[in-house]
Amino acid sequence: MSGSKPDILWSPHHPDRYVICDSELGLYRIGPVGGSETKAGALPLSEETAATLLAINSDTPYMKCVAWYPKHEPECLLAVGQANGRVVLTSLGQSHNSTCKELVGKEFVPKHARQCNTLAWNPVDSNLLAAGLDKHRADFSVLIWDISSKFSPEASVAAEKIRLSSVDLDSSSVVTKPLYELGQNDACLSLCWLLRDPKLLLAGMHRNLAIFDLRNTSQKTFVNTKAIQGVTVDPHFHDRVASFFEGQVAIWDLRKFEKPVLTLTEQPKPLTKVAWCPTRTGLLATLTRDSNIIRLYDMQHTPTPIGDETEPTIIERSVQPCESQIGSFAWHPSSQNRMVVVSAANRVMTDFTVFERISLAWSSTTSLMWACGRHLYDCVEDGADGVESVIEKDIATKMRQRAQSRYGHDTVQVWRNHLLAGGNDPKLKSLWYDLFYMKQCAEDMELKLQGNKQSVVYSGIKNIVKTSSGTTESRRCWSGSDRQTDVPRYLSEERCLALRLCGWISRGPDIDVEIFLRTLEQEREWERAAAVALFNLDIRRAIQILNKGATAEKGDLNLNVVAMALSGYTDEKSSLWREMCSSLRLQLKNPYLCVMFAFLTSEPGAYDGVLYESSVAVRDRVAFACMFLSDAQLPRYIDKLTNEMKEAGNLEGILLTGLTKDGVDLMESYVDRTGDVQTASFCMLKGSPGDVLKDPRVQCWIENYRNLLDAWRFWHKRAEFDIHRGKLDPSSKPLAQVFVSCNFCGKSISYSCSAMPHQGRGFSQYGVSGSPTKSKVTSCPGCRKPLPRCALCLMNMGTPVSNCPGTGKSDEKVDLTRENKLAQFNNWFTWCHNCRHGGHAGHMLSWFRDHTECPVSACTCKCMQLDTTGNLVPSDSS
Amino acid sequence: MELHILEHSLKVASIEKEGIQICTHGLIKLAFLASKTRCKFFSLTETPEDYTIIVDEEGFKELPQSEHISVADATWLALNVVSGGGNASNSQPIGVTKIAKSVIAPLADHNISVFMLSTYQTDFILVRERDLPMVMHTLSSEFTLLRVVNGETVAAHSLGVTNGFVKPKLGRLPRPIIHPLSSPSNMFCVTSLDPDTLPSVATLLMDVMFYSGGPKEPGASSEDSSHIRFFSFSLIEGYISLVMDEQTTQRFPNNVLFTSASGELWKMVRIGGQPLGFDECGIVAQISEPLATADIPAYYISTFKFDHALVPEENIQSVIGALRTKSTAQ
Repeated sequence: MSGSKPDILWSPHHPDRYVICDSELGLYRIGPVGGSETKAGALPLSEETAATLLAINSDTPYMKCVAWYPKHEPECLLAVGQANGRVVLTSLGQSHNSTCKELVGKEFVPKHARQCNTLAWNPVDSNLLAAGLDKHRADFSVLIWDISSKFSPEASVAAEKIRLSSVDLDSSSVVTKPLYELGQNDACLSLCWLLRDPKLLLAGMHRNLAIFDLRNTSQKTFVNTKAIQGVTVDPHFHDRVASFFEGQVAIWDLRKFEKPVLTLTEQPKPLTKVAWCPTRTGLLATLTRDSNIIRLYDMQHTPTPIGDETEPTIIERSVQPCESQIGSFAWHPSSQNRMVVVSAANRVMTDFTVFERISLAWSSTTSLMWACGRHLYDCVEDGADGVESVIEKDIATKMRQRAQSRYGHDTVQVWRNHLLAGGNDPKLKSLWYDLFYMKQCAEDMELKLQGNKQSVVYSGIKNIVKTSSGTTESRRCWSGSDRQTDVPRYLSEERCLALRLCGWISRGPDIDVEIFLRTLEQEREWERAAAVALFNLDIRRAIQILNKGATAEKGDLNLNVVAMALSGYTDEKSSLWREMCSSLRLQLKNPYLCVMFAFLTSEPGAYDGVLYESSVAVRDRVAFACMFLSDAQLPRYIDKLTNEMKEAGNLEGILLTGLTKDGVDLMESYVDRTGDVQTASFCMLKGSPGDVLKDPRVQCWIENYRNLLDAWRFWHKRAEFDIHRGKLDPSSKPLAQVFVSCNFCGKSISYSCSAMPHQGRGFSQYGVSGSPTKSKVTSCPGCRKPLPRCALCLMNMGTPVSNCPGTGKSDEKVDLTRENKLAQFNNWFTWCHNCRHGGHAGHMLSWFRDHTECPVSACTCKCMQLDTTGNLVPSDSS
Repeated sequence: MELHILEHSLKVASIEKEGIQICTHGLIKLAFLASKTRCKFFSLTETPEDYTIIVDEEGFKELPQSEHISVADATWLALNVVSGGGNASNSQPIGVTKIAKSVIAPLADHNISVFMLSTYQTDFILVRERDLPMVMHTLSSEFTLLRVVNGETVAAHSLGVTNGFVKPKLGRLPRPIIHPLSSPSNMFCVTSLDPDTLPSVATLLMDVMFYSGGPKEPGASSEDSSHIRFFSFSLIEGYISLVMDEQTTQRFPNNVLFTSASGELWKMVRIGGQPLGFDECGIVAQISEPLATADIPAYYISTFKFDHALVPEENIQSVIGALRTKSTAQ
């Protein structure tokens, strides 16, 4: 801080005042820009704040270091260390009748002059001011002055010999006798009082760090090191100290003072200041020479290292408070992460707040939480049902609701799953209908073809049409008219299967869409039904459907108009009807009406107007393509559509891809977009247990869905899911991983059972699932020694729960009804993995309802508290 | 007590007064432009006879080759006594006196020649590099020996050359003073200054060092025959130390020189009638032991030809007395 290099000190008690010291001392007050207190001469520090110069003090030349008196009163008392080693007390902006009047101007003079490098006020015993001086061959380098000491008579006797300058003698405020003298024949470069004990002073001496104890000044603890500059104690962790040497910062733990606990990465330029953030634990700011950045080291997550080799992790980042090179900085004493920075030249100041790193976490139940500094934000989904239509609910909420409504578990009427999912997602509806039709076909084919083509069904229309052979072309008449159409229709076994998968036709060799049309009529999908009728070349039926739609309750009368237009159909190429229909059809809002006219006005084989109308359901377009596209056109169209679907993650595309690798690709795209691992898991489980389930992506979805269920504490749902999964994918059933072994012979009890099949003892006989009335095996089948006892009822394992002697509650009585005989959880044997005591699960549960310690006397194990999930209850109802 | 063996490899040289002008470039660079060299140890002492330069190998490169410069052939190492461990007894004898009994006398007993350099900050005991094993062996019982390597102090291990035989128990032979002593009339200041203010007094210091008060200056010699021209400047590891007579201090502006609160002044005892050379040992011990016995603080500066002890002015009579007794007692 010599000459041009400025430094900043925040007032320890006035959060709006600071002092800048370079060649003189300047006291500033910081306030909001344009605030009532700011005057015309205010210097802007940031967009919000400005500083006003309150006072200047240039009484003390040759300043080397400054320290601010730590107590409230007298306020604004500063100690200045000078180049000749003298320490002067001075003040700024104080009226002369203030409390510090008699202190101001007091000088503390060392026996031998040399530079004063550092000053430190004792934070508790604030009369004590430690000064660190350069080396002198016969003098001490750490002098602790008592600022309240008077110019003692003892010293005045010595003054005869001492040739004090006349000025010194005039003011009777010169103190030459320090309270303590430490560090003989050494240099002191930095000082700080230790916060853990105000009698301890840490000093950066020449080539070592030393801790002086004022209670016993002849002793010191020291460690040889180069890092002796700028010693500073972490205000939040009183054993942690930082010091530096050139470009390297060393962090010390005073409890393990032999070597630094860590050293920070070395900077190419020498450091000038290192400071702990007073408002945030473990945040250290460092500044190097000629730099415009401040480097921050976040040691927030550094527990005290346990071994010698563990080097804790630190997060390093840089901030740039201003454009110019930084002369010095100072943390604000109370305002969080705030500092004032002064430039190396021209005393340009900047008010700067270090932005805290943000950490963010999603909960498994839709809420989002993020933390920034001391603020914790919790963002919860707006659960009001009224806004349901406005904003789509989060997928986590949806999945939770669906899990509760047993979504995915209907394995017979597969299509019903979309109703379980809420019934309002057309994509899911399409998916579950696809899966339903696939299942139907597969079962049907099994009957018909003895299962040899079963896999074809699940391989999707894309693969089915590829294998198509023996396609016949036919030109059918318009139903109900003799007119020959010139529209060729194609037919083959595979196309027929595809139509079935599309849901247009049900089983049977005939292409009969009448059932389908009736279903659509029932569901009041008039336009779609009309289009399907028309594509089956039945204009009359189409018109009839439209009429029905117009006359039905709440029907759309416009449908009659459409019917009229339809009835005027003519296949004359140049008719007015054709011309008008092909242009006006685009104004029809309903896509099905639109494609009807597109079909009628298209040239045979060129049905792009129908095929690429994206608002028409994929299944209808595919079915249409299967009827009207030739063997050459069809696979091309299907491939194109498949890729589109895969790209978009559109579940309707499962119809095309089936449950193949293509289908997994499509589902991956869907999961990437929605995060709906639930649908993905259930959908893929429906496929044949072949390659698809082995796909790591599928396994990942399934595992994640299980984890999600666990996180929601839907443990019963998760168990149900596992059972469901086990049925569909037998390979997923886990092998037994836990065995109960006998204490005496060490053999597995269950293993012994299976090794002796003739005895016919299942696991159930050990009370796991057996009937409580039957006799039980209470000894090891291997060695015949007794099995462990329940700590509460003292009965051996394998004995069912009876009245619990400890509690004696009536509800503990064994219910011998039929339903409770199987898998009676109360009869299970359980034990603590820590103390190895245990017993019947029911007994244990009731014991730990009222107790924290193990039921075995003299065992103080807090078994239940060791089980982090033991006190949680499932949040699903079943 | 700790004895630090510093890492500087030092050369001791003498520049004749007539030849000083060819060296001024290098000397000014070493003294005032420390950032331009890698020299960490530089000392220049002017006596009526010559300029004595003590400089580390980096700094030695700055000096030209000349017939005016004679260099002692050995390489020297600096030892520094540090009161490590912190036994801070308050009545501490100052300077050479403190180490007279613990370092200088044992070395003299083992016939190890030493070269002393006292500064404002501390005392350096220079020993020949080749004597180091013997030095360490001699002093290992009294001191914790530490070696400075790259600025870090590490424990120095005795090289074991003297394995097997016990330290020779030389009887406390009386150590008579064998060289003539003289005491110039002028008084001296041992002082220092803030390195930051060095540029502001650089021209003055250059004037004092190189241009004022040569032996041929008629005024000075005629004024007082026993007046001696003596000036010492050292810049060691960033610390400046100055020894100059009282008149010279008057030429400096106020508040630049560090003056001790007691404003002490020192008188000189000059040892040697003939140039002392580098091989004779025990000279420092001869002087410092009586002073230590009398508890008189002292500075001691060896130069190429003679040795100089500085003692407080009020003690000079008793010092002369003590030393005279010593030499006559023989």
